Order: sequence, then structure tokens, then C-alpha cells
Amino acid sequence: MKARFSILIVLALVAAACGGPEPASEAPGAASSSDTAASPSPADSESEGTIRVAFVTNNTSDFWTIAEAGTKKAASELGCEVLFRKPSMGTAQEQQQIIEDLIVSGVSGIAISPNDPQNWTETLNRFAEQVNLITQDSDAPESDRICYIGTNNYDAGVAAGELIKKTLPEGGEIMMYVGRLDAQNAQDRQRGIQDTLEGTNITIIDTMTDETDRAKAMANVQDTLVTHPEVDCLVGLWSYNGPAILNGVRDSGKLGDVKIVCFDEEEETLLGVAEGHIEGTIVQQPFEFGYQSVRLLVQLAHGDRSAVPEDGTLYVPVKTITQENVDDFRATLSQQIGR
Amino acid sequence: MRKVFGLLGLLTALVVLTSLWEWQSGDGRISFLTSANLRNLMTWVGLFGVLSLGQAIVIIIGGIDLSVGSVAALIGISAAIMMDRGEGMHPAIVLPICLLMGAAIGLWHGFLVAKVRLQPFVVTLCGLFFFRGIARLITGDQSQGFGTAYSGLRWFGNGFVFDVIPAPFLVLTVLAIVVGAYLHFSPHGRHLFAIGANEDGARFSGIRTDRLKIAAYVLCSLLTAIGGILLAFKINSLGPSDFGSFYELYAIAGAVLGGCSLRGGSGNILGVLIGASLIVLLKNLVNILEIPSQLEYVVIGGAILVGVSVDELFSRRRAARA
Repeated sequence: MKARFSILIVLALVAAACGGPEPASEAPGAASSSDTAASPSPADSESEGTIRVAFVTNNTSDFWTIAEAGTKKAASELGCEVLFRKPSMGTAQEQQQIIEDLIVSGVSGIAISPNDPQNWTETLNRFAEQVNLITQDSDAPESDRICYIGTNNYDAGVAAGELIKKTLPEGGEIMMYVGRLDAQNAQDRQRGIQDTLEGTNITIIDTMTDETDRAKAMANVQDTLVTHPEVDCLVGLWSYNGPAILNGVRDSGKLGDVKIVCFDEEEETLLGVAEGHIEGTIVQQPFEFGYQSVRLLVQLAHGDRSAVPEDGTLYVPVKTITQENVDDFRATLSQQIGR
Repeated sequence: MRKVFGLLGLLTALVVLTSLWEWQSGDGRISFLTSANLRNLMTWVGLFGVLSLGQAIVIIIGGIDLSVGSVAALIGISAAIMMDRGEGMHPAIVLPICLLMGAAIGLWHGFLVAKVRLQPFVVTLCGLFFFRGIARLITGDQSQGFGTAYSGLRWFGNGFVFDVIPAPFLVLTVLAIVVGAYLHFSPHGRHLFAIGANEDGARFSGIRTDRLKIAAYVLCSLLTAIGGILLAFKINSLGPSDFGSFYELYAIAGAVLGGCSLRGGSGNILGVLIGASLIVLLKNLVNILEIPSQLEYVVIGGAILVGVSVDELFSRRRAARA
């Protein structure tokens, strides 16, 4: 009897909690209907309310903080609401749960960086039936997603390859590091580098993985310097690999002996570039991922598909950051995220 | 003591086998035994060993601490935030705060286990989630680091004495001597073993079990805090959601391989040190022997299972003979 009573109390509390925010969410909806003159009737604007879209990342790295700043800018320009979700373990299963919850909460569109695009086609298609689904950062070309916004990671790999060629004009040996090789962006970057270096006298020893454990990423670097003391250049494919390589090389006392080329814009990486310990880093423009994703999702919510290109891909170009332009880049970055 | 010799034998055998394997498969150069690799190995042994040391204490009283990775992350990251790349508070203020945080977390766990009588597995499992979440919250998921500041202080995580012995290894040695003396040569220490072997018996014979249990958790979290700070100094790029994850399992593996029984009441600090070294060595030899990294966990899991089984067989035979 007691148990049944406590269940009742819990249910009552849950009902109260669910009921709570509803009147509150109506208020901004009513406010925004005044500036969207197109809304035909008051009843319509009440059911529509503010457009809610969601942005789902594939992990919690700093990269996504910049994208989040982009979504916020778009949100304030367009007067929509953005739910930004960062799965802490970075698994496909966690992403799936997040998306299911977002759909239940009534978002009109979702931009996702799918962690396992090959095996996920069916799941993504199921989501695409219920909301406007676009992919960003990492594509799932086989699925029914409306559009992909992000880097062409193969091109990013090519840019890194060019930088490596410039760094090692005499040729040499390189080692690559990444968290997991099953991720599409890791494979594309690796392939871009391999294709660019083919036919040169630069050889790739191997690609080592660390399952995103930064201590392991660093130990991998140190182990390479032991097993392959002749290595000329270390290449980090994921954002945290840059700092891991820099710290591993520094602790082994080989700073200046081996060159470093990496991707993305972690603070330590940019410091390393500024100090001249890292040759350069290939950066994407996550701010644009966030900004453009939200803009597109809002357009799609209005039923406007004009911004979606024919082949369904909107590539945001990469930039090569070296000691020459690192200061400018850092200035822009801190302006964007207000750091 | 015989257990320690057995473990030492296992460690030696592994070193010899790895060297032989590399010697016969490569160009005759044994990079495994180069000073660079030994320095790397000892550094990581120092860093992970501190965590195993803390874990061993709670395992000896029959408990477990699953929150080690998250607590190490929270403390390491807090230190980085407070020092703010050389522009924040002075380390002389930050480090005591961090150690106090560690002790407070241990006190909380100990209180829940000893006074509220929750199971240690549950309490620290909640800690694993809770402190990871706090670490992510206070950083807003931004990676933390010390930049190039505090290179003097960070020596404790990445420096060397006479260019040979890694500083974290030295820290581990000092801590192990202190903890070993406390566990094996003080009355308190013996009481901790008694609690692990038979808690009710210990209580009836007049040991203040609750207090000692709380003390064990405080010590464990304190050591975890030290380990977290050292790891932060070493890694210097701390992702709030990934830094330290899984480390509780490495800590437990090191302690168990080192002869601590999860049933409580047995264990030996020397054994724990060797156990922690074995774990680090296994990870290293996967890279050195260029075993496909997919097999890393297979190697670690298999080696622990073999080690523990052999230990069990030997101690049973000893018991039968006695």
C-alpha cells in the first residue's frame, strides 16, 4: 500500500514537472510571432511557436564549443531556439538516445555528426522521416539526410599532405596518430595524405590509434620515438593529437628534431604553432558548421529547400595555419567564442 | 612475500621475452631496453602506480573505488583551471585546495560506506558519474592545460632526477614507502587488514571499524588527487570528458594483479607496485613489438587472467602442503 502511494506521489511530481515549462514556452512563441509577419493566424503561431532545431556533436572536444558559438549567432539572428547536445562518451548508441529524446521534445530539424555512418543508414533514415535531418562534420551519404555541411576531409588530408611535402623537401619518414580509424573523417584524412605523398620520397610508417585516451596518445608518440628514432615528422589527425604529440616530443627531449603537422585548433596546438614547434595545423571552420546548419534548418522548417545544393553537399573550405598567420587566426577565434 | 617474488619473476620473464622477441624479429636493435624507453616506462609506472596505491588500500578493507578516473580528472582539471596558465592563483594555494578536495571526496565516500552503509561499489559508481559530470560542468567541455607555465612545478609530472630517474617514479617510491609503512608496520594498518578479512570480527575485538574505513577512503582519494595532479602536469592537455576515463580499471587491475584480493584482507604494497608496472609494461610492449593495437586489450586482459590464475593455483598448492 505504502509503495503504491509513493508511486502516486512520484507520478504527481513528474506531471507537475512536465506541466511546468509549457506556459513559459508559449510566451517567447507569442513574442516572436510579432516579428515573423508571415504567420497566418494566431492559432497557427501558437502551435508553431519559436522554431526549435537541434545540433548534435560526436563528442565533447573544444572544436564543438566554436560550433556552438556559430549556432548561437544564427539563433540570435533568426530568433530560433537551438538545442546543442554533446554526447559525453562519443558513441553511436548515445547519439541515438539523444536524437530520440530530441524528436520527442518536438524539434523541427536536427544537424548531426554521425559516429558510425555506415551502420547507421537505417537509423538515420528513420529519423529523417520524422524531422529535417542534415549531417554536419561527418557525412552519411547513403542515408536520406537532406544535406551535408562540413569539411571535405579528403581535401583536408591533401592540404596536410602538401604541408608535409613542404616541411620535408628532402623526403623522410612520417608516423600518423588518430583516436579511431573507423571514423570516416579519420579515413578520409588518412587517404588524402597517402594520395598526396604517393610518388614522393616520403614514406608513411604506420597510423597508431589511442581510443581518445590522451595519455595513450602521448605514450604512442614516445614509443614511436623509441622504436623509430629516425622518424622525421609526426602527424596528428584528430584535434587532441596535436597537443599529445607536442607534449610527447617535448618530454622526450626531441623538440626541434622532429617536425609536427596536425589538424584543428586546440589552444595548445596554436601555442605550439606560434612558438614554432609545430609546422602547421589544418583547421576546419566549425563556427561555419554551426552557423550554416542552423540557418539551413530554419529555412527547411519554413519548407524552403532552395539553399540545398543539387548534390546535397555544402563544403566549408579548410585553412592551413602556420606561424605566419597564427596570430590573426587566434584573434578571430577568440572574437568568435568570446574567449 | 613469496607472492612478491613470483610477481617479480613474472615481470622479469616479460622483460626478457619482449627483448628476445624484438631482437629476433628486427634488425638486432633492442629498442625496448633503450634508456629512452625505460625512462618512458618508469614515468608511466609512477603516474599510474599512485592510483593503484590508493585503490589497493580500499581493496584491502574489502571495498572498491570506481570513481578513481573521474576524481583524478576533476582534481587535475581543477588545478589547471585555478592556475590558469600562469595567470591564476599561486600553486602554493591551489595544490593544498586540490588535496583538500580529494580528502573531502574520500570523506564523503567513506561516510556513505561506513555510516549510511551503502555498498562501496554503488557509492563509487555514483562518484564515477558525478565527478565526471562536475568536471565537464566547470570547464564547459573546454580542454584545460597549463600551457608553458609552471615548467618548474610540472617537473613532478614530467621531469627527471640526474636525467635518469623520472620524477613521478620518485614520487611513487616515496608514497609507497609511506603507505607501505602505514599498512604493514603500524597497528592501524593491521586493523585495516583485519577489517577486510572479517569486519564483524574486527569490530567485536574492539577495532573502530567505521573510522578506519573512512580513513581508507580518504587515503585512497587523497592519493588519487596526487595522481590526478601529476597526470595533469604530464599530459598538459586535459579533455574533461576523456581525461582519466578507464583509469580506475587500470588501477584495480594493477592492485589485483599485485596480489590484492577483492574479497579483502590481503595485499601487499610491493606487489601492487609490481602489478601496476606490469600493466604499463603490457601497454608498452604492444607498441614496441608492433602488435596490432586492436590486440592491446586482449594482451592486457589475457595477461591479468593468466597472472591471477597462476597465483591462485600456487597459493592453493601451498595451502594444501601446509
